[in-house]
Parts: sequence; C-alpha cells; structure tokens
Amino acid sequence: MTMLVPPPPAPVETAPSNRPRRRSRDVGVTVALVASVLLVAVGSVVPLTAMLSTALSGSALPRYAQFVTSSTDLAILRNTLVLGLLVGACGTAIGFLFAFVQTRLAVPGKRILHVVALLPIVSPPFAVATAAIVLYGRQGAVTHGLLGVEYDIYGLDGLVLVLSLSLFPVAYLGMLGMMRGLDPAMEEAAMNMGASRWQIFRTVQLPLLAPGLAAPFLLLFVEGIADLANPLALGGDYTVLASRAYLAVTGEYDTTSAAVYSLILLVPSVALFLAQRYWLGRKIRTTITGKPSGTVHLITGWARWPILALAVFVSLIVVSLYGTVLLGSLTRVFGVDNTLTLQHFREVVLGAGREALRDTTLLAAVATPVAGLFGLLIAWLVTRRLRRAAGWLDFAGTLGVAVPGTVLGIGYLLAYRPDRYVGDLLVLPGLVGGTAIAGGSLAIVLAYITRSVPAGLRTGGAALTQLDPGLEEASMNLGAGSVRTFRRVVVPLIRPALLTGLSYSFARSMTSISTVILLVTPNTKIITSQILSAANTGRYGVAFAYCTVLTAVVLAGFGLIRLLIGGAVVLHRTAAPTGRTPR
Amino acid sequence: MAPLPHPRFRAMSILLTVAALAAAAGCARSDAGGRGAKDAGKVVVACGATEEWCAAMTDRFTEATGVEAEFVRLSSGETVARLQAGKANPEFDVWHGGPADGFVAAGEQGLLDPYVSANAAAISDRYKDPSGTWTGVYVGVLGFCNNSRILAEKKVSAPRSWQDLLSPGLGKNVGLAHPSTSGTAYTMLWSQVALHGGDAGAALEYMRRLHPNVLQYSKSGIAPAQQAARGEVGVGVIFSHDCVATQEQGFKDLTVTFPAEGTGYEVGGVALVRGAHNSTSARRYVDWALTPAAQEIGPSVKSYQVPTNPRAKVSEKSVDLRTVKLVDYDVAAAGRAKKDLTKRFDAEVAQAPKS
Repeated sequence: MTMLVPPPPAPVETAPSNRPRRRSRDVGVTVALVASVLLVAVGSVVPLTAMLSTALSGSALPRYAQFVTSSTDLAILRNTLVLGLLVGACGTAIGFLFAFVQTRLAVPGKRILHVVALLPIVSPPFAVATAAIVLYGRQGAVTHGLLGVEYDIYGLDGLVLVLSLSLFPVAYLGMLGMMRGLDPAMEEAAMNMGASRWQIFRTVQLPLLAPGLAAPFLLLFVEGIADLANPLALGGDYTVLASRAYLAVTGEYDTTSAAVYSLILLVPSVALFLAQRYWLGRKIRTTITGKPSGTVHLITGWARWPILALAVFVSLIVVSLYGTVLLGSLTRVFGVDNTLTLQHFREVVLGAGREALRDTTLLAAVATPVAGLFGLLIAWLVTRRLRRAAGWLDFAGTLGVAVPGTVLGIGYLLAYRPDRYVGDLLVLPGLVGGTAIAGGSLAIVLAYITRSVPAGLRTGGAALTQLDPGLEEASMNLGAGSVRTFRRVVVPLIRPALLTGLSYSFARSMTSISTVILLVTPNTKIITSQILSAANTGRYGVAFAYCTVLTAVVLAGFGLIRLLIGGAVVLHRTAAPTGRTPR
Repeated sequence: MAPLPHPRFRAMSILLTVAALAAAAGCARSDAGGRGAKDAGKVVVACGATEEWCAAMTDRFTEATGVEAEFVRLSSGETVARLQAGKANPEFDVWHGGPADGFVAAGEQGLLDPYVSANAAAISDRYKDPSGTWTGVYVGVLGFCNNSRILAEKKVSAPRSWQDLLSPGLGKNVGLAHPSTSGTAYTMLWSQVALHGGDAGAALEYMRRLHPNVLQYSKSGIAPAQQAARGEVGVGVIFSHDCVATQEQGFKDLTVTFPAEGTGYEVGGVALVRGAHNSTSARRYVDWALTPAAQEIGPSVKSYQVPTNPRAKVSEKSVDLRTVKLVDYDVAAAGRAKKDLTKRFDAEVAQAPKS
C-alpha cells in the first residue's frame, strides 16, 4: 500500500532559477502532493463515496422528507448542535485557561497543571463517563456521598461536562504552542505605552490568538457532535445524531437511515468548517517573523490567583476522575467492595487482554508517524503550495475527523470489505475483516491514520499561519528546494505543532473506538473494544484496568515522541536578529 | 509568497482520485464460491454472551476437540450488521449466544445456513428452529433486578407486576435498554405484545406509560443490571441471570422479582454462518455446543442461564422455569416483527418528550 509509506526523500537540489519556472520542476512537491492525495482518497474519500452512494440511493430519498417534517428528528438535530456549541465553547475556554496559566502567569506548580491537562487526551472518553457517574452521578461518591444531593448527571449537562473535560487538551496543546509563539514585542510595546494587563489581553493577545481559538473550537465542535461513547453512557434521553445513526446501524441494520442521519450530521460540521476557513483567511496574524523580539512579562499581581484557582479546580475534577479509574482498577468493586486486588490487571496484562494490548500498540505505533507527517505535509501544501486545490485538499484531510467515526467505519466496511475485480483480475483484495490480508489490520491502521491526520493538519495549519513565508522564501532564494525548505526550515520552526500532532495521533489511535469498533476482527483485537465490552457487561474493574494500562502505554509513547522530536522547543523568543533558526 | 498552481498536479490528483473511486466502485464479487471448501481446522465465533463465557466456551471447545477457536464478542444487532457486510466473504463461521429473535431476522436475510445437528434431537422443539437455522443452547427469563437500598429510600416496594413498574414512585428509576440494539429489551417489548394478545399498539401504549420512569434506554441489555447495582436506578428490567451475575460481583443489595402477569424469555441460539470458510469445524462446534458438558460451563463463569439440553445439570442459581409464569413467546413471529416494531418504538415511545 503505497499511501502508508512516507514519500521518499525527493531530490533536494533543484536548479536555482527565477521563481516562476522553478515551481514546475519541483519533483519533491509533486511526490508529496501525490502521496497526500492518495492518502486522503483511500482513507476517507473512497469510503465516504461508498457510504454516500448508499445515502443518496433512491430508497433513501423519502427519509429526508421524513426528517424535516418529524419534530423528533429535528429535536435530535437541535440537540446535536447545542451539544457541539457548548462543548466547543467550554472545551476551548478550559484549554485557553490552562494555556494562559502556563505561558503568562508567574505561579508555582505549572508542570503539574501541564501533566493534568494532558491526562484526558490519553484515556478513552468512556472511562471518564463511567468515572463521572461513579463520582458525580445520582449516587455519586461526591455528589450524593459528600454533598448529599441527587444530581442527575444524565443528559446535556453531564455530556458537556464529560466531553469538555475529555477534549479540552486538544485546545490546550494547540493554544500552548500558539501562545508561546506570540511575539511579546507587541505586548511590550503596549505595556510601554501604559496599557493595563486587561487592555493588553483584550486588544493585543486576544486578536492575535483569535485564529488559534477558532481551530480548537472547530475541532471540539465536530468531535463533540461525533462522539458516540458518551451519549450512550450518560446521554439519558438526550439523543444526538451520532448515537441515532449508530442505533440505526447496530440495532436496526438500517444502513440507509444511518447514512441519512450521517449526511445531516455532516452539514453543520462542513458549514462550520467553511465559515471558519473564510474567517481565518481574512485575518492572518503573522507573529513569527524572525525579527527581533522582546521577552514575556509574566503576570505577577493579585489577578494571577483567581485564575490559578480556577485552573486548579478544573484539575481537581480531572484528577478525581482518573483517580477513580486507577482505584477502580485496583479494587474488587469500587465504592461497594473496596478490597484491593490485582486480578483485573492480571486479566489485562497476562490474560485475555494481552493480545489486544500488543495489537493496538503495534498498529498505533505504525499509524502515528505516518499521520503526524501527513498532517503537517498537507498543512504545508495547503498554506504554501496550492492555490485553488488548497481548499479541497484541506477539506479532504479534515474529513477524517469531520465524519463521525461510526459512519467512516461503515464506509470502510462497504468500500474495502469485498475483493475488487476488474474482469477476472483481482485489483484490490479486501482489507476489512478476519479473512483479509494481515487479519484486517491494514484497514485499522488506515482508519487510525485517517482519524489522526486532521489533528496535525489543524495544529500545523494554525502554526503555519503564524510563520512568515519570508523565511521560506529566503531559503528558496538561497537555492534550497521545496522539500529541503520544508524539512530544514518549516519543520524545525513549527516543531511544537509537530509534537502536538504526533502525540495526539498516538493517543487518538490508541483510544479511538467509533471507527475501529466496526473493523475489529478475530485476529486483530483492539483495547478500546475490549473496554466497551467489559464496561457493557458490568466488569468496571477490568474496564478501569484496561484504561490504566492504556494510559500508561500512551504516556510512554508521549515520552518517546518527545525524545525523538526534541521537546517543545521555545525558539521564537530566542530568535536572533538575523532570523536564523536557533538549532 | 505565491502558491504554486501546478497544472500537472491537479490533473494527476484528479486522475488518482478517479482511479481510486473506480477501483472502489468496481466489481465486488458477491459469490463466496469455492473459497468455503477448505477448512483450516479452526473456527471463528461471533459470540453474543459475556466475554468470560465466550472465552470459556472457546477454550473448552479446543480442549475437547483439538480444533482451534477464536471469538469476537458482539451484540446481536452488531453481529447481523457484520454478517451482512461480510456476506461475500464471511469472517465468522459460527454465531453463538444472544436471543433467537436476532437469529430469525438473520435467517430471513439469508445470512445463516440451516444445520440440524445430531445432538439437536435431545433439545425440546420449543427451543429450536425446525429447519435448523438456529438451535437453542440456553434459556433466560426476563425479570426485575431491584436495588433494595434505593427502593427503601424511595419507599417503594419491589415490583411484582408490570403494573407495579408504572408506579409514580419509580420516576426515572427504571433501567431499560433500547429494543433496537438490545435483544433483552426487545424480549421485553415482545412480551408486552404477547401479554396484550398480540396487539402491538397496546404494547406500545404500555411502553409509553412506562417512559417517564425510564432513566435512559441503554445500548446493551446488560447495562441496567449495572445501573441498578450502583443505585442509578431502583429497578432494572433484564434477564434474571444477568442480575444474579451482578449480585455475585459484590452488589449485595440486588434482588430478583418476576412479574405476576407472566414474563418473556429468550432462547440463546447457535447457528452456522452461510458460506463459512471452516464449515466442517463449525459443524463440530455446533454439535459440541449442544452437549451437556458444554452447557454446564456457564455457571463456572457466572452465567446462570438454563441449559436447553435436559441432560445438562442446572445450577441452583439458575431460575426455576416451573416457578415463573411465562408468556407464550413466539420466537419466529417476534423475529419477523422485529424491524417494524423497533421502528415504531423509536418513533412513538423513545423520542417522546418526558413528562
């Protein structure tokens, strides 16, 4: 499968000539583009086409009329949008809060907050939902046990709580890179002119960060409305499109209805995506220029304490949830029978879970570098190399996250399940299922990559909009080819975004469920589907043990990625007057 | 810096996309012909019961026959969806466990191969399909799984009839799965149909009246046991064996009651997948699953369904079928009506705003 292989290093020396002519000979860009197009085509366009051909078949058309006339269907649509908006807003706000504390407050314990903020990214949301019910539900240890109230967590408020706390790290990581890249010279200038902290925040930082806020909001919105595990776990009677579509497939074997719901689910995602892109296009803030810059002045006044307190409060909730997961994995039945035991871990590490652990880690490890690289590559092609096709490639690259995982999974089943023949010639053997090559793992890796690329694409794109193209122009004027420029100038400059992209890809692959749940085969077992199975049958201890082991693997992966990429380097503030890169 | 409009890029990308689409749209072979002939000496099971039960069954089958066995745990809705997707090239050989209603639905769609095992003769006609599309391996009875602590707090006594379940004191305190995904919940829905003399409208009317008491319609039929165990609800409507299994996990507050009007039951099935690659081994698996030895494995992994083979020992933790009043549950009719009835449930009950 060619698209799984990173493009071969292209010839780096291209003859320097005047610019218009040089472009057409840039082989490296051609290779990168072909590989990217192939990846998005195979990963999302083809499966989606297979799904859409079902959704737009003649038998599906009456369903649309039913939808717009049915008040219950319209209520589902409204529920979905409200959930997306709230999750996007709350998640982005929390992410911003943490990033602000990290980059602008002079307070102790920032490392701890950073680690806490990373925790949710590494665990399947299903664990958070379960822990939230155990702690904050109707009989929750905190709400009922300590406060004596019977708080009904089921429904919109519980979903927003759980989803915001599960998804905010995406916003946090994106904005962390962004805020570190923010040129302090502007703030210094404002400060020198006598602006207050609040004025600086409102009139300098916020406008500069606005594109950076839009990206995580978009990502959280679409993830919020596509999420499946949480509405199933604590949605109550708050039905959303994703869970409705899932129900149509798994319960009613009605792929047509599912496709219709998915199509309707796609509309708000796509609309928001296009609106965001239009808005981004108008306000590009270039803050990394390579020109002289100042130093960050951390907030040291009293105002830092309430902000910190808020962040600590959120952290405590996060920690309590994961504490429950950990304790739950070590006790027989958490909250009921608190006898310590290792039997859950024994099953996960030595028993039935061993295979799943091995397979999932291996497949995610294969998918991560590919996804991280392609995310960045596509972002770069889109922001720097393409003109009219840019929108399409960007859009296709984002499909992996814009499309609900369940729908993508069905698309995979429809597109890659059967062997494909032209005449009698086998052109494409089936990729899905236990009888496929490599036990169906190829499709799972492909799904991992497709679902992870958008993260790298978003963070990479946001970072690139802050990067002055002049740096690349300088490199190319000095005779470096496009690929060399990408490798030697762009990648080092947006390394934080690459780190984010890779870390997120790995975590996302390890914890992804909605797509792969449909692709799991007898030969290739996946941890998240084991968790769902355990939780569904009430074996919370085993589910929590899986989650704990999964978290450990993901954290180890983070460490490895950090080691290989070289950490989140703070390069912008050290930029020398000449504009050279610091390393 | 100006972006690069590369005419050849675009031509190439379009070409590639078209080629990929063509390949995807291209001819998919729909016949599994010839490929099912070889038997690899192993069997792949789509398993509809608990993970522990599935693992124990496949392990013991391998011990007994030397034939390797693998399984994937899937709910009955998922199984049918995956059998449908894999019609041309099935990855499963056997479907084991889950209410027979789903097997009937799958049989109607041509996803199962009839196979009358020699061992099926021992099994009562009530618990098998005459043509051999599926054969029953266990029976489970629907009951109320009560959390006595919560009910005491609410000052409601444990329900002993379907009418008791409607008590206003149980507002948002009944756990029930969604009949579209859950075989358990569909069994309950069909039980109402049976209790109302086959009148689906009256059954749905009952569900509408129950609706204000339901906390949420979960995906899995086993989930309400957990909800009741943790006190999220006072009563879960589930198969009694799932309640007993949860009790054994350490939830001592749980008690089981049965509705006096009569209750529904499931017949857990085993069936051959049509076009199975390992059909010889699959037949051996079905033969084995019907033996008393195989049916006695359940209790060792906390699965207390009643075996269908009369020679199999019944665990004392299993429900005694003679003491519970059962409705006249027509599995074939229930399977045939499933699609329409769940659709009506969805439109008329589950999405109704709560009062």
